[in-house]
Amino acid sequence: MNNRQIIKRFQRPLILLILMLILTILQPRIFPTASNFKSILLAISIYGVMICGAIYPVLLGGIDLSVGAVAALSGACTVLTIVNGGYSNASVIEGVTIGLCAGVMVGLAHGIIITNFRVPPFLITLASMNIVYGITQLLTNNLVISCLKPKSFTFIGGGRLLGIPFPIYIFLSMALVSYLILNKTIFGRSVYCVGGNPVASVLSGISSKKITVASYIFSGFTAALAGIILASMNQQAIAKAAQGYENDVLTAIVVGGTSLMGGEGSIQGSVFGALLVGLLNNGLRLMGVPSIYHTVIKGAIIIAAVAFDIYSRNKNSGLVKFKKSAARIGKA
Amino acid sequence: MRQETIRRLFSLALLFTLIIIFGTTSKYFLTPNNIFTLLREAAVTGILAVGVTFVIITAGIDLSTGALVALIAMICARLLYSTTLSVPVILLIGAIIGILAGSLNGFLVAKLKLPDFIATLSTQGIFRGLTLVFAIREHGVISNKVIQNPAFIILGGHINGLYLATIAFIIIAVIGQFILRETRFGIYTYAVGANLKSANLSGINSDRVKIMVYTISGLCCAIGAFFLAAKMQSATPEMGIGLEFDVIAAVVVGGCSFSGGRGDVFGSVIGTLFMAVLTNGLYKYNFPAAYQIIIKGLVIVVMVIFDSMYQKFMEARTTKAKKLEDMYAQGNGPETGVAQ
Amino acid sequence: MNNDILLSARDIEKSFSGVKVLKKVNLEIRRGEVHALIGENGAGKSTLVKILTGAYQKDAGIIRYNDTEVELNSRHDAIKLGISVIYQELSLIPTLTVTQNIFLGREKDTAGILNKKSMRKKVIEIMDYYGLSVDPDAIVETLSIAQRQIVEILKALTFESSLIIMDEPTASLSSKEAESLFNIINNLKQKNVSILYISHRLEEIYRLADRITILRDGKNIAVLEKGQTNPTDVIRFMIGKELADTSGLGRMRRNDKNVVLKVNKLSCKGVFADISFEVHEGEVLGIGGLVGSGRTEVLHSIYGAKKYDSGEILFNGKPLPSSIIKNIRAGIAMIPEDRRNQGLIPLLDITRNIAAPNYDRLSGRNIWVKAKEELAFCKEAILQLDIRPNNPEIQVMNLSGGNQQKVVVGKWLMRNLKLLLVDEPTAGIDIGVKEEIYNIIEDLASKGVAVIVVSSDLKELLRVSHRIIVLRNGRIIKEFNDGFVSQEDVLKAASGITREEAEQFEQ
Repeated sequence: MNNRQIIKRFQRPLILLILMLILTILQPRIFPTASNFKSILLAISIYGVMICGAIYPVLLGGIDLSVGAVAALSGACTVLTIVNGGYSNASVIEGVTIGLCAGVMVGLAHGIIITNFRVPPFLITLASMNIVYGITQLLTNNLVISCLKPKSFTFIGGGRLLGIPFPIYIFLSMALVSYLILNKTIFGRSVYCVGGNPVASVLSGISSKKITVASYIFSGFTAALAGIILASMNQQAIAKAAQGYENDVLTAIVVGGTSLMGGEGSIQGSVFGALLVGLLNNGLRLMGVPSIYHTVIKGAIIIAAVAFDIYSRNKNSGLVKFKKSAARIGKA
Repeated sequence: MRQETIRRLFSLALLFTLIIIFGTTSKYFLTPNNIFTLLREAAVTGILAVGVTFVIITAGIDLSTGALVALIAMICARLLYSTTLSVPVILLIGAIIGILAGSLNGFLVAKLKLPDFIATLSTQGIFRGLTLVFAIREHGVISNKVIQNPAFIILGGHINGLYLATIAFIIIAVIGQFILRETRFGIYTYAVGANLKSANLSGINSDRVKIMVYTISGLCCAIGAFFLAAKMQSATPEMGIGLEFDVIAAVVVGGCSFSGGRGDVFGSVIGTLFMAVLTNGLYKYNFPAAYQIIIKGLVIVVMVIFDSMYQKFMEARTTKAKKLEDMYAQGNGPETGVAQ
Repeated sequence: MNNDILLSARDIEKSFSGVKVLKKVNLEIRRGEVHALIGENGAGKSTLVKILTGAYQKDAGIIRYNDTEVELNSRHDAIKLGISVIYQELSLIPTLTVTQNIFLGREKDTAGILNKKSMRKKVIEIMDYYGLSVDPDAIVETLSIAQRQIVEILKALTFESSLIIMDEPTASLSSKEAESLFNIINNLKQKNVSILYISHRLEEIYRLADRITILRDGKNIAVLEKGQTNPTDVIRFMIGKELADTSGLGRMRRNDKNVVLKVNKLSCKGVFADISFEVHEGEVLGIGGLVGSGRTEVLHSIYGAKKYDSGEILFNGKPLPSSIIKNIRAGIAMIPEDRRNQGLIPLLDITRNIAAPNYDRLSGRNIWVKAKEELAFCKEAILQLDIRPNNPEIQVMNLSGGNQQKVVVGKWLMRNLKLLLVDEPTAGIDIGVKEEIYNIIEDLASKGVAVIVVSSDLKELLRVSHRIIVLRNGRIIKEFNDGFVSQEDVLKAASGITREEAEQFEQ
């Protein structure tokens, strides 16, 4: 490992630390409290769960913009099943299963379309975001459907274990699962291969179609899981539930060093990205920056992060070119 | 028959099928009143579609149009409300903002080399946020003031039933088509989209072409914003949400391909009419709004898949010598196709 | 005195990162002549062409054009002088019309508005003058490759080019289309346009060229006038060996062991046809032929990476499925031609690249990667192949070409191979590493692996092959399976002059 890699490894915790330090200095009484940290973690746990799956399409060089809409759909499916099932515990299991299945189905559809036709993934998932949103509106009749019981449902998003909100456990365990899949399984290895060079992967006997379909399915699954947590936390289902979450997900992934060109990135990075976005949201709120500026700031952050990624990639490949031309000029 | 003609006939067939379906099943559909309303509804989408056509021909995309329309409309409303500037000056300011916002998109895509959808998705967020910033507030609450300036409201008026917005749409479409087909810049737009490398080798400044097309799209957003604000006689932070979607749907129905180099403004006009007829028909049948969203999404998915199959078919027909990469790329979806 | 000389380049030198590619090369082209430039791959032809078109700058030497000394610092300079190139991969915009393409970047317009009529008129004028024909309003993507070439030529002519450089123009043309291209070239010649014609196909060169310049290893070997020589001489000049010289000959031999692969009447429309051959256990079969002769495609069809129309492929007597994954499991491997784009995943480290096709062995049916075994496996490969640097965590994009190729080879070494398909094993690799790769191939063969090697490098082909088949235009034109074979023999077969034809010519 060379110096640059060491710096790279530790720069992320350092950035978080510096940011926390700044916020502590600026807001010494509110920021560094256990309850504030808990609320930060709670706030990021929803889109944190989404990230755990949404990173897979990005690693393949694609993208899934439908995660927010899928979350709303799955939340609605779950809540409706529970309400229709008379709030029984069995209906909770049934509802959660149906919610998760809905997410998996949407992911499957994405995967099939994207692997069989030469279509831009962003456009397909953007279109399906609208379709799914429309379906959720139909399901909920465009109403807020509240679901205050049973406890087994409300616990998912609102419960506490050892004093820590339950969604944080879900987020951390999903991050762990996703980390293990990506780093310890053959599937994870294949994701990096296909993202890095699809042609070479196919010639090495990796089924890029299967990998792609599975990735979009997993992305749908985690989005659905996040949707269930959100519905349980708010004790209601609404078509607009997770609108705009795809932006936070995308920001966190990109800020976390995952390249939109595919083949490069990590769960650790994305979790860092999620923490950063969470801290930033929290900080902006504590500093009294009106929420209307938040979208502006986040947009600017995405642009900066992607521009930086592309700049550093070009610089790397540009360096080779530069050396060659320097050699050429040197001889003249 | 030329490929373009076949594709054009296909779009027309889609449009007329829809007109026949609605025309025969609803007696209100083909009344002059409804047609004028339909054309008015089509106008704003259509004006935006003219700009987006340029962008998509260069193999790019603009997702920020809806938000930019809201931003410009809001700024105009704000200026009308809180200053005494004359309407032409305000329109000029709006147009300049459109041009600046468009060239910002162009700069991000051409100079910073951001993937176009990321760049315009981010600026969408920025424009939408700025719209809130400029919103008129009373006691801290956003209040959507009615625009009362008669000179501005004229833009929402009509001549013998034909709305000014429709007339503007027609004029802009004709200008757009003229630029695309009859000028140097138009040729360069196609060249950049169809074969970037060759375009550069031919001495075309492709970065400048890209910045220009996004700028055109921004200007079209400004014009669209004027007519939308005049029609609604107000500007709200939520206006134009999802509008970019109608525009993209219209453009793909009209024959533009996301791989670039194909399509033209007249195609997009047909696509716009298709989307307007669809919306109008669904509305007439009292379908819930949710169906509209679903159907528009499906239109995009189906048309994009159709486009991909059509491209494959064209390639198989015209070039025997395909690159090896293409052979494997079939079905290896991860290439975004735009992010190159 | 030099009135009939259009271009003269004297003592041109050029080196890349210290390696001299052109050593005092001379080239002289007369007005209205077809001048052929030939030489083996790597002889320096394309570098010379790039200098003439301003894509590269020469290190030393003088270029005179129309009797004045000129500096070619950019493509634009060359075009302004009247030098145009028609490249193998055509550079037209597929969705624009012929006229729009011809005038791309220098349209006739008033205030940005195109003057379509005048451009169209100009195109028709030029077509009439030079005897070309293509619909000026046709969309380019609807044209055949031959027609597109005409558009490229028209483009060059509207620049008022007096020198048109054609690089392997017939590579993707049918023989009928090639015939009409030759007519066009003759027409151009009569109108006093000079052509610099670069091709491996000697028969074409013999038909067309007034003079031939031969390059070898970056040096001028000879300039021959038409009728001054015969094809055998030309080939001798290209290869640089006397016929009596037996060094570098390949000794062909048959082998009676089991047939591993039997290809029977394999055909793919427009690419290759009627390909039949066998490969035995422990045998290295070389496939020679020019680029575009269908060699690579045959390999890909065997591997399951490309569909074919008819024929059968038998592997150990059983039909081979067209699935890469199944074929890899059965013991087949391929080392593709384009290392960077088909062989490697540049961002990943050596371990991940080498392990990519081997997880079925490393982990069996388990979903988990056994990281220790993965690393041990990779270290073994690094050791065995002497990959440098030997750090398994280095991204392969940071390795030299030779070591990258070793990584590609390393992917397959531990797989109990039965059949190895190798495409251009040493393209762009240092000589030292080349020898190592040959040793690996020989080593595998001695262990009973059947190997098929496709190569454009004749020395290499003769060095490693036990038998050689030569492809031309998608068909097997010649098989060498006995006695000694020279580069000359292979080149004659590949470039379209068989020994019999050559002898006929000499008489």
